[in-house]
Amino acid sequence: MNASMAASVTQAAPRGAQGVQRHSVITLDGIKKTFSSPGADAIEVIEDISLDIKQEEFVSIVGPSGCGKSTMFNIIASLLEPSDGSITLRGSDPKCGARVGYMLQRDLLFPWRTIIDNVCLGLEIQGVRKARRYEMARDQLTRYGLADFADQYPNTLSGGMRQRVALIRTLITDPDLILLDEPFSALDYQTRLVLEEEIVSILKEHHKTVVLITHDIGEAIAMSDRVAVMTQRPTSVKKIYDVGLSRELGSCLKARSDARYQGFFDSIWDDLDIQIAGGES
Amino acid sequence: MSEAQLHTHVIRAGSVKENDEQLAGNTLLTDNLWRGAGLALVIILWQIGVNVGWINPFLMGSPVGIAGEAWRLIQSGQLLNDTIATVYATVVGFLAGSILGSICGLLLWFSRSVARIIDPFMVALNGLPKIALAPMIIIWFGSGMFSKIMLAFVATFVVALLSAYQGTHQIDRNLINLMRSLGASRREVFTKVVAPATLPWIISAFRLNIGFALIAEIGGEFISSDRGLGRMIFVAGNLFNLNVVWVGVIMLMIVAIVLYVIVSQVEKRLLPWEKGHK
Ligand SMILES: Nc1ncnc2c1ncn2[C@@H]1O[C@H](COP(=O)(O)OP(=O)(O)O)[C@@H](O)[C@H]1O
Ligand SMILES: [Mg+2]
Repeated sequence: MNASMAASVTQAAPRGAQGVQRHSVITLDGIKKTFSSPGADAIEVIEDISLDIKQEEFVSIVGPSGCGKSTMFNIIASLLEPSDGSITLRGSDPKCGARVGYMLQRDLLFPWRTIIDNVCLGLEIQGVRKARRYEMARDQLTRYGLADFADQYPNTLSGGMRQRVALIRTLITDPDLILLDEPFSALDYQTRLVLEEEIVSILKEHHKTVVLITHDIGEAIAMSDRVAVMTQRPTSVKKIYDVGLSRELGSCLKARSDARYQGFFDSIWDDLDIQIAGGES
Repeated sequence: MSEAQLHTHVIRAGSVKENDEQLAGNTLLTDNLWRGAGLALVIILWQIGVNVGWINPFLMGSPVGIAGEAWRLIQSGQLLNDTIATVYATVVGFLAGSILGSICGLLLWFSRSVARIIDPFMVALNGLPKIALAPMIIIWFGSGMFSKIMLAFVATFVVALLSAYQGTHQIDRNLINLMRSLGASRREVFTKVVAPATLPWIISAFRLNIGFALIAEIGGEFISSDRGLGRMIFVAGNLFNLNVVWVGVIMLMIVAIVLYVIVSQVEKRLLPWEKGHK
């Protein structure tokens, strides 16, 4: 309880990335979630999350695995009802109007759809006419160097390319808020560094507001304006760091080699209080 | 594939497949040569055995005798008529049962409670050897082709239903969440995710059902019928005319193989995205 109070204090006066006062895109206020099913013990997953995210901010969430991060995303995307608390998305209820784009660790491309049809999925559901959505999709695919693969099936692409396609699919419907749930964790290290950089610049270019879940502390520091550290389950926000290295330096790689990087890393590592069994590092 | 290729991010689908196909073509040719040679050897040894007197042609038939009977049955047109009758009843029952069963299995996705209620009945029916229903079905529908169609239908319907229904349960929850986060209706989730994701399961049920439909149809013909390959085998068997039995059995094998090839071709058409996998 104390921890989450402290967090609320930190975020009571959000400094914003460049010190500019921007309006909130999403506000979580006292969100709680308990899973209860008949015949089983109720599992309290989220104790209390209050979080306020401003326009064009890039916020990362790090926390022990299984603490309830994905559950929080599902609540934001209104796939789950919170047990208590309220969500305000761009000043409205998330279910009416304001839209959330969702991208997960597994790219979730539909194997039976060609790349271009995958990209078009959201537009199709929104009822955009076929000619129009193909035009939009082709534009975006060309822009990210994937035009040659438009008519192929996803299983012919590498993991990195598939995640790029998934990102385009998320962006093309122009959502107000983008949720990324460990989108890089299935990729090899090099692809990851490249994609981090690419995604940050694409999202900035589109003026998107982003929340990223990651278990990679370095990734969180390299990409984010703010990093929220979560406690064990039942989870709450333990601490929020104002990082903003990549915005200041213009690149995630530069952020990784900045002097302040290690300082953030060490404090977040301490906050996470990870118990290491055996000699593994 | 080398590391270097992986790092270019693209598995060059085209070039890899060409190589594979060439290789596959070569092994296929040699494999088929060996198969042909093996089969010819068995037939020749069988005939020699009969000629020398080691094999009793009355109990086993003989290749020359089988060829003679085949020729006679082809010329009289009986083989063609019986084959058409059997294929017709099998295919109609198989298609009706598999298609309707798949549709029902898919639709069960919409109602968990209906699915839960009928589940034990489906499991019980699935475990039942459908041929046990043959006497009843023949009483109800007569000894003509319609009862054989019904038998093939019953034999394939439950398999298709259960397979499609199980397929709908294997769908990645995240795909459905993704659709919902994009604002899709339940009907859109069904047409854009559930149905295509279940298609491989449906096709594999079709594959199984070829065998089940044939078993039920032939079993029905054994019990009571006026034409068909099953009847031909049954009657010839009672008369100890082993050569005719062999003709019927060989013809049935050909029918089964042709049906398998057709289903495989349909599969390739319907599941173009699975090409790279297998
Ligand atoms: N539908 C559910 N019913 C019951 N428990 C659930 C459900 N979804 C998630 N949980 C539990 O909630 C906890 C948090 O899960 P999750 O949010 O996926 O964690 P993570 O922080 O790793 O993303 C896990 O212990 C999980 O077992
Ligand atoms: Mg998770």
